[in-house]
Amino acid sequence: MKFGERVLFAGFVGIGTSLVLGLVWAPSVSIDAFESPAAQRLFYWHVPAAWAAFIAFGALFVGSAGWLFKRSERMWRLHVAGSEAGLATGLMTVWSGCVWGAAEWGTPWDWTDVRLNSFGLLTLLAVYVVLGRNSQPDGVETRDTFAAFGLYGFVLVPLTYIATRIWTIRHPGPVVATGDGSSINSEMGLVLALSAVSFTVFIIGHIMTSMQITSLEGRLERLQNSMDKVA
Amino acid sequence: MEGMTYLAIGYFGMLVGIALWTYTVVQRSRRLDERMAALEGVINAPESENGHQETQP
Repeated sequence: MKFGERVLFAGFVGIGTSLVLGLVWAPSVSIDAFESPAAQRLFYWHVPAAWAAFIAFGALFVGSAGWLFKRSERMWRLHVAGSEAGLATGLMTVWSGCVWGAAEWGTPWDWTDVRLNSFGLLTLLAVYVVLGRNSQPDGVETRDTFAAFGLYGFVLVPLTYIATRIWTIRHPGPVVATGDGSSINSEMGLVLALSAVSFTVFIIGHIMTSMQITSLEGRLERLQNSMDKVA
Repeated sequence: MEGMTYLAIGYFGMLVGIALWTYTVVQRSRRLDERMAALEGVINAPESENGHQETQP
């Protein structure tokens, strides 16, 4: 088993463990404060998935900039891995958020909320980059186009991060790293931290494995081309 | 308790989804490794085989 696959597997085990702890060990929230107290436990999935998505979009940004300014193959592989990881974790975040919204607000989406819409746009950006790149032949022009989207699309990450600090419309405000202390108790904080670490390990493993796959695909293509020339 | 049952089913479904995604990525990596090994084998082996065949009448 390759190192990247080991990291991926360790992250997966951590995610499973933290979600079981979130379901059976973490204390329940006050029934008075929530419409659907049980659905609040989706928090242990939703918040770490969003955190992992930010890491993936960070990798997409660095990879895109590295390709555009350095023409580095390694950075292009990081762009590919970051966009795929961003798509998967973005969909996980949006899906868990919609389920929670349906249970708590009575509607899965609010088109007036800045946080929801900016994160939705980020996920759509990843959908466009992944599907668009797979539908085009690989080449400098294709890479430049999608790297530009990865580079400029990153502006949505800080916008999404600060959205609930500036405009609290429907999405709840931050509960950790607020500057005036955390509003969750220690057991909840422990499960959330374990889940966040597990998602981080998982997404790093995914990025490493995905970069190896892109590298192998490139080597395979070059080998096949050289064989075709010989034949 | 009904809410917790739905939540447990939802969690299980999401874990199955993430497990399938992980499995797909790992399998893709292994298939590529196998193709690479096979191609390298074909490139290295036939060079000597072709050379041998060319000398045959």
